[in-house]
Amino acid sequence: MSDIRVIGVAPVRRRRRRLPIGVAIALGVLALAVLAAAFGKLIFPDAMHQDILASTLPPGSPGHPLGTDELGRDILQMAVAGTASALVGPVIVAIGSMLLGVVMGTLAGYERGWLDTLISRWTDLLLAVPVLLAAIVVSGVMGGGYWVTVALLIVLFSPSDIRIVRAGVLEQSARPYIEAAQMLSLSRWRVMFRHILPNVTSLVVTNMMLNVAFALVAFSSLSFLGVGVAPGTADWGRQLTDGRAIMFQNPAAVFVPALLIVAVAVCVNLVGDWIGQRLSQVGEEVR
Amino acid sequence: MTVLLSALTVLGPSGTMVEPIDAEIAPGATLALIGESGSGKTLTAKSIVGLLPRGFRATGAVSVAGQDLPVTRAGDDAAWRRARGRSVSLLLQDPFTSLTPVHRCGDQIAWTIEAAQGRRLTRGARRKAVEERLAEVNLPARVADAFPHELSGGMRQRVAIAAALASDPQLLIADEPTTALDASNQAEILDLLRRIQLERRLSVILISHDLGVVRGRTDQVLVMRDGKVVERGATAAVLAAPEHPYTRALIEADPVVAARTGARIAEESADGSAEVEALLVCERVTKAFGARTVLDAVDLSIAPGAIVGIVGESGSGKSTLARCIAGLEREDAGSIVLGGAALAAGRASRTPGQMQIVFQDPYSSLNPMMSIGAILAEALGVAGREASEVPTMLEMVGLPAEFARKRPAELSGGQRQRVAIARALAPEPRLLICDESVSALDVSVQADILALLARLRDELGIAILFISHDLAVVRMIADTVTVMWDGRVVEAGPCHEVLEHPAHEYTRLLVAAAMRENAVPADGKD
Repeated sequence: MSDIRVIGVAPVRRRRRRLPIGVAIALGVLALAVLAAAFGKLIFPDAMHQDILASTLPPGSPGHPLGTDELGRDILQMAVAGTASALVGPVIVAIGSMLLGVVMGTLAGYERGWLDTLISRWTDLLLAVPVLLAAIVVSGVMGGGYWVTVALLIVLFSPSDIRIVRAGVLEQSARPYIEAAQMLSLSRWRVMFRHILPNVTSLVVTNMMLNVAFALVAFSSLSFLGVGVAPGTADWGRQLTDGRAIMFQNPAAVFVPALLIVAVAVCVNLVGDWIGQRLSQVGEEVR
Repeated sequence: MTVLLSALTVLGPSGTMVEPIDAEIAPGATLALIGESGSGKTLTAKSIVGLLPRGFRATGAVSVAGQDLPVTRAGDDAAWRRARGRSVSLLLQDPFTSLTPVHRCGDQIAWTIEAAQGRRLTRGARRKAVEERLAEVNLPARVADAFPHELSGGMRQRVAIAAALASDPQLLIADEPTTALDASNQAEILDLLRRIQLERRLSVILISHDLGVVRGRTDQVLVMRDGKVVERGATAAVLAAPEHPYTRALIEADPVVAARTGARIAEESADGSAEVEALLVCERVTKAFGARTVLDAVDLSIAPGAIVGIVGESGSGKSTLARCIAGLEREDAGSIVLGGAALAAGRASRTPGQMQIVFQDPYSSLNPMMSIGAILAEALGVAGREASEVPTMLEMVGLPAEFARKRPAELSGGQRQRVAIARALAPEPRLLICDESVSALDVSVQADILALLARLRDELGIAILFISHDLAVVRMIADTVTVMWDGRVVEAGPCHEVLEHPAHEYTRLLVAAAMRENAVPADGKD
């Protein structure tokens, strides 16, 4: 086998493949979404302005290309203004749970022993909790709100990160280069975060991107159920709930936010997969 | 019945991988293909059995007993199904992965028998056929009911041979059939193959990087390098009087040849055991994993600047001893004293300046995400040395300074092992432990690394504990050798004494294996 590996390819093969078309489109969509999230409120400062006279206009009405809802709010403006709440929360949740996962997963995987047992049982416990139900209960008890939901989802999303990081760290810990680091009497923190962590980055980043998509859907679901954001806030999930009543008068009120949620979630997944693949090729053996 | 290769060529994605090969193998004769990693010998073998990887194809022709194999149609399973097994069979290197772990050995042999006969056998007939095949490879009938993991490496390879021969092929291709086995098993497997081959009048293509395997067991030899045949002829003639410089270099680098001629890489240092105080003394070191005792009261002593070899097969405890000395394992009992100071078990009581290890696998002993420069700078930093010494370290192990910018994936196995040695030397340890450090390398690279270690010992005065399963390698470099078997030291002494007058039965076996002495000579001349 080894013969094939060595003569089949040049010793160093830089993989500079062109950007796949699907990933290019996904990156474009995400770039637009980020722009809308950053500047949406500046472009449409009064997206949530109600205009009783313009109640439930169909798409194509003058001044309202996608029509309005029953309170006379412009669908397009609301969708653009809602991007911020749709992106910021999920990204913070994904990054937060990733950080939790990296710290706890690395400790569990490298230190083993009682710490591993403690952390692993804790993740088992969290995995047994249904995410949406817990969010609804906590919102009910604590009065809800966007940031309460963010904090809760960080905790509830962390088990998958912890498990994935732990598994990656366990696999790397058995490699001779880790023993070589131990032979140099390097501190355990240096071994964990300088030697092991870079070798599990691709796992961590791929999982983080997946979590952005999951969290986006979770947020929208919560808003749809009325426990995410406060009424009157620009938010896709909220828009979806409000639009249900006028689905037949103005279908855009429902389909626009729904399509946006699906499109962004799919694009995040595509880009996440691609980044993960790229990262896992860094330092990879040429085999 | 003759096997003919006519202008057999392998083409890969980036051009010709193996240039045209012509050869003729008589019934009962063996053709050896030798060469190092990348020489194209495995590709040649795969082209003959139609197992070339995607993107590769073969041209030319191979005929077995007058029938052409569909070598040019690598992906055509229908055509190959008729040829594989009946005409040609393949024996792979690693018996630990070439058998299916979830099926009993007898079933795996029976599949081949049934496939070759094109019909299902009755329970009784099947059992009888399997037992016959097992008997042919000197295995008891009960092996039929065993799963592969219940058998030793040598027994597994016998099962693999029985499975490969179950279809009664006319040509057997054996790809490094003994490389994954312990020295004591190697000779047995090779002799077994030779005996079966003579009985069956079977043509064999034996692929190996090991001249010792080829010597005396093959009739013709093709020496390959970079996809070209550089020398060919009768085995005995080629080995006795090589014409091509590459063949000569290959023979000179071969530890078995060295073992026969007594050539050494390191000067055997004067026996300093008399008055010099030992650098490292291990006394009654004992270690058990669960109920299994891996180290049973082992004593070992290393003089400053000495190269001490430890030989033994896998499971003999030699690596565990090294890991206890290094503190990577905690011994259960016994004492380890370095430079007069007793070391407690475990890594916490050790400093990097005491000892360092060079591991076996050059592919996983360097962090793939760090540059060579960063790896060495970190090791230098541990000893309070500056990163500016990185070029000096690289030069010391014979690598150019610009390697500092490269990542491990860009280096060859030998180059990586040099980096691993440089890393180990950075904290200026008093003892360097080489745990099978050259076992994964080609013979010529192996010789280079051994020469490097010998030079470092002479220049730095560092003591080296050199661990290997192959006495032929150990004797090229070690001053004294310790033979371990089943967790115990069975023999120890100056290298030449142990080799010339082995006292223990197991040592005699190792010495014979080191010389690759064989029971069934091929031609009586060797």
